[in-house]
Amino acid sequence: MMKNKPLAAGLAVIGLFTLIALFAPLISPYDPSVIDQNHLLEAPSRAHPLGTDGLGRDLASRIMFGARISLSIGLIAVGIATALGLLFGSVAGFYGGALDGVIMRFADIMLCFPTFFLILAVVAFMESSIFNIMAIIGLTSWMGPSRLIRGEILSLKEREFIQAERAIGASNGRIIFKHLVPNAIGPVLVNATLGIAGAILLESGLSFLGLGVQPPTPSWGNILIESKSTLGVAWWITVFPGLAILLTILGFNFIAEGLKKVFGYN
Amino acid sequence: MDNLLEIRNLKVQFFLGSRTFAAVNGADLDIRGGETLVLAGESGSGKTVTALSITRMLPPNGAILEGRIRFNGEDVLAMDEESLRGVRGKEIAYIFQEPASYLNPVITVGDQIAEAVMLHQRKTKQEAGREAERLLGLVKIEDPRRVSLDYPHQLSGGMNQRAFIAMSLACRPRLLIADEPTTSLDVTIEAQILALLMELKAALGFSLLFITHNLSIAKRIADRVCVMYRGKVVETAATSELFTSPRHFHTKELIAAYEKIGRI
Repeated sequence: MMKNKPLAAGLAVIGLFTLIALFAPLISPYDPSVIDQNHLLEAPSRAHPLGTDGLGRDLASRIMFGARISLSIGLIAVGIATALGLLFGSVAGFYGGALDGVIMRFADIMLCFPTFFLILAVVAFMESSIFNIMAIIGLTSWMGPSRLIRGEILSLKEREFIQAERAIGASNGRIIFKHLVPNAIGPVLVNATLGIAGAILLESGLSFLGLGVQPPTPSWGNILIESKSTLGVAWWITVFPGLAILLTILGFNFIAEGLKKVFGYN
Repeated sequence: MDNLLEIRNLKVQFFLGSRTFAAVNGADLDIRGGETLVLAGESGSGKTVTALSITRMLPPNGAILEGRIRFNGEDVLAMDEESLRGVRGKEIAYIFQEPASYLNPVITVGDQIAEAVMLHQRKTKQEAGREAERLLGLVKIEDPRRVSLDYPHQLSGGMNQRAFIAMSLACRPRLLIADEPTTSLDVTIEAQILALLMELKAALGFSLLFITHNLSIAKRIADRVCVMYRGKVVETAATSELFTSPRHFHTKELIAAYEKIGRI
């Protein structure tokens, strides 16, 4: 771990943000939704370390609470996508033939739609709650993991120990989920880590367009959109949530890089 | 003595792109209860394909075209997938050439043996774990408790083969098919594994089908020897008879090859 600098750096950054998210109610200096008419658009100071926004709300507190939303959307959306990917990819790879054809062509069709516009279209018809955003991002990003897992399973299922499992009378389900999937977990983990970064960016983008997490709930994306009108006079409202997004994405990318080293491939 | 396994006129074909290849071309084979039968022959003569056909474990591009396989009076070729799974591991078990690659690299040896135990017996995870340790002791592994927690890459080839034998014997099969199980091991380990197999066979009473191209092994362990050549069983004889009066020219070739090695 000490020698794996990317992993250590990534884990440190993400660990810090995770702690902030977990303990936001305890460590945030102010209530993130309390409006203070006397302190509008204040620059960073001792009282407000990251300044205040156009409604006088404390920016540091809003970013801390925003971390909860952004990180959990990233984790759960990728959880959904990876779970679907494991199921579809392993079944397609193991059984091959017509089933493989149907699943993978369906994935190809889904890949033809630009994800962002697909999500925009879906959000137009649904209430954009946090839960819906998680579900939509998850349900529109399982294709990548599926293809990856299918490829891994295709090569793993030719290995001798799978034949040995058949020889002791193991069922297909047991072979897939007990023996094939655990051997494919390395690349899946790397892919999922990168996926979290992607999902956080996607949520920020959606919130920035006003279709993501709805105010007053703070997410890093919707803090950014509120900064747009005051960008000329209050740089801090744009810079700090932007930095939070940047560091988190960078952190997850470093973890993915480090995991690649751990699992021994590039 | 009754035949435990009867193979009649077995024909197996492989599909290689648009071409077909007859790997086994009318093989006949009997295995009696409790005997050690060595199936000998050069590479590509159809030994392994015959062995895999017994529980229909052929790769997807191979197919049994013709013939009859009866195990314990039941027609193997007529069984559905469910009943086949009941035979594999429980009635007929295999051990293979490269033990390390036949064990799952991410699961401990003990857990893999325990899995084999639980597949065919009603046992809790704990009971299966204890049974796995007992089986590791049975195959003469010292300190079975520690080894059961090891992963295959932490063990030597000989140890892995012992562990694999333990897994194969987990459900006390009536027939053990050993496909060149000592070819990848060095000579002293080979002798140990052969001795172990003979000892286990005497203790547990299974029949052994041992596949090899090395007739010196046949001389050491076999009751009878079948010689395969180009997809057919060309000669079957009691071991002593085979070595004193071989009939088929390929048998003579194999014996000559082994005597040549003996002289070096």
